[in-house]
Amino acid sequence: VPSDREAPLIAREAVSGSYFLLTFRHPEVARQARAGQFVMMKAGHSPEPPLRRPFSIMDVAPERETFTLFVKAVGSGTRELADLPIGHGALCLGPLGTAFSPPPAEVEPLLIAGGYGIAPLLLWSRDLKRAGLTPRLFYGGRSRADLVLESAVEELGLPHEFSTDDGSYGQAGKVTEAVARYLAASSWPAALYGCGPHAMLRAVASLAERHGRRAQVSLDPWMGCGLGICLSCVVRVQRRGEERGKYRCACTEGPVFDAADVVWSDEAASRSHREEAGA
Amino acid sequence: MNLTVEIAGLRLRNPLLAASGTIGYGLETAGTLDFSLLGGLVLKGLYLEPREGNPPPRIVETPAGLLNAIGLQGVGARHFARELGPRLAEMDTRILANVCGDTVAEYAEVARVLTDVPSIAALELNISCPNVKQGGMAFGADPRMIAEIVAAVRKVTRLPVIPKLTPNVTDITVCARAACDAGADALSCINTILGLAVDVETRRPKLSYGTGGLSGPAIRPVAVRMVWQVARAVPIPVIGIGGIASASDALEFLIAGARAVQVGTANFVDLGVYARILADLTAYLERHGLDDINQIVGTLDYPGLPRSKS
Repeated sequence: VPSDREAPLIAREAVSGSYFLLTFRHPEVARQARAGQFVMMKAGHSPEPPLRRPFSIMDVAPERETFTLFVKAVGSGTRELADLPIGHGALCLGPLGTAFSPPPAEVEPLLIAGGYGIAPLLLWSRDLKRAGLTPRLFYGGRSRADLVLESAVEELGLPHEFSTDDGSYGQAGKVTEAVARYLAASSWPAALYGCGPHAMLRAVASLAERHGRRAQVSLDPWMGCGLGICLSCVVRVQRRGEERGKYRCACTEGPVFDAADVVWSDEAASRSHREEAGA
Repeated sequence: MNLTVEIAGLRLRNPLLAASGTIGYGLETAGTLDFSLLGGLVLKGLYLEPREGNPPPRIVETPAGLLNAIGLQGVGARHFARELGPRLAEMDTRILANVCGDTVAEYAEVARVLTDVPSIAALELNISCPNVKQGGMAFGADPRMIAEIVAAVRKVTRLPVIPKLTPNVTDITVCARAACDAGADALSCINTILGLAVDVETRRPKLSYGTGGLSGPAIRPVAVRMVWQVARAVPIPVIGIGGIASASDALEFLIAGARAVQVGTANFVDLGVYARILADLTAYLERHGLDDINQIVGTLDYPGLPRSKS
């Protein structure tokens, strides 16, 4: 059960450009959150912007009752959060949504992050490592400047591959192309986990389908409440046995969906809208 | 300190209700929201059968407001009565249902089905949703249709009948009188204001449905004005709705003549809103030497007019 309370900002680290790591105290989120879940945050009661913003949980420290978010200050909501004075409380609802589920035995987890989408996969890679697994992390962006948490990925001590569309760092090309090469060369069965832009997630879905692998993707449509009450963040999802897809709330039945269940053509229209508008 | 109010024979422990469409079917927030702080909640609108709603994007933020075109996605009254209604029985607050229909007959049938659900204490009639092609606002803007729907529902239920009026009319008091004359027990004012947000790059509406309904603090002055007009025009209680997020917001409506209020969009931002409003309402009454919330209702001292009630 999510908890709605003020969460004081404990620490802020400016990572680069408009990116920040923000650590808040919230006992329930710190203790209960699982990788893939998210929180809804707002700096205060001001009617501008009107709504909270969803953020994937990047890290938790249950013993300190804190959790950490990776925040890109792009609009007024994210800017106010990043500007919050240390010790001041933000409105915080969480933990919310579905989590990534672990792969079956003997299946290699491949974690695929596009830019900002790295956040939940960092928590997930740490969880998998703690469970004795060795996930492989693919971290891609348009250019090196998008690989903001490059050092955090290196510090995991796990196999990883960087890629950039413009070839400025790591392998040249899309992150999903790097995954495709790996899948073609590997003899191990793999499970894919993706978080990033819509086009990337769609590519992850088709990659998984082509290789007969399962993929879990974290979707990010416009969200209003986080609790399944406003019904804004619906995604058309068609589960096995269903004749036709149904609108399902990304906040309660997602954000992590089985990629094979997502009706991608339907998702595209709403998604492009959001990306044009900017979060 | 008395915060209890009475709407059409329905006693509410305080004047704060959660508005339809902003609290789901109550079960979604169980454990997160303390329902004992609410006078009641109004369920998401129900047609007879399930509805898929509109394609996304369904919401867009506007200055101090929210424009939505959800399109009344819902489980349907039959399913609700069978599966969800019984689970609401233990909820520690009054439950009001919100009745929708494409036809007058459907309103009556939904009302009949929901009247048989023991946990339901009153029926709010959604004759004001701007985001559906049939019914909704199209009915609520026509005083004759309002009268027909209210009369049809009145015939099949013993529960208080509370039409929710649309602000998208020239004179809301005409609609209020039509509802009152047809047998309404109270009125909810207002539903969302019809709006349009344009994406200037694509030159398309930002919502996939096109237009949407505006809610949030942006519409509060319009809502307060309409509540004030309606409260002066009809003898039945008025429930004020429109951008309430604080005690002072709620008080504006009560002073303008509302007997109770509904908190809507603010539920999406902070479920602590009820505790905050209650604490501040109590402090306000104390500061003004009052011991009953009802003493404040309709006490607006408007220039050139006698006080409407006191």
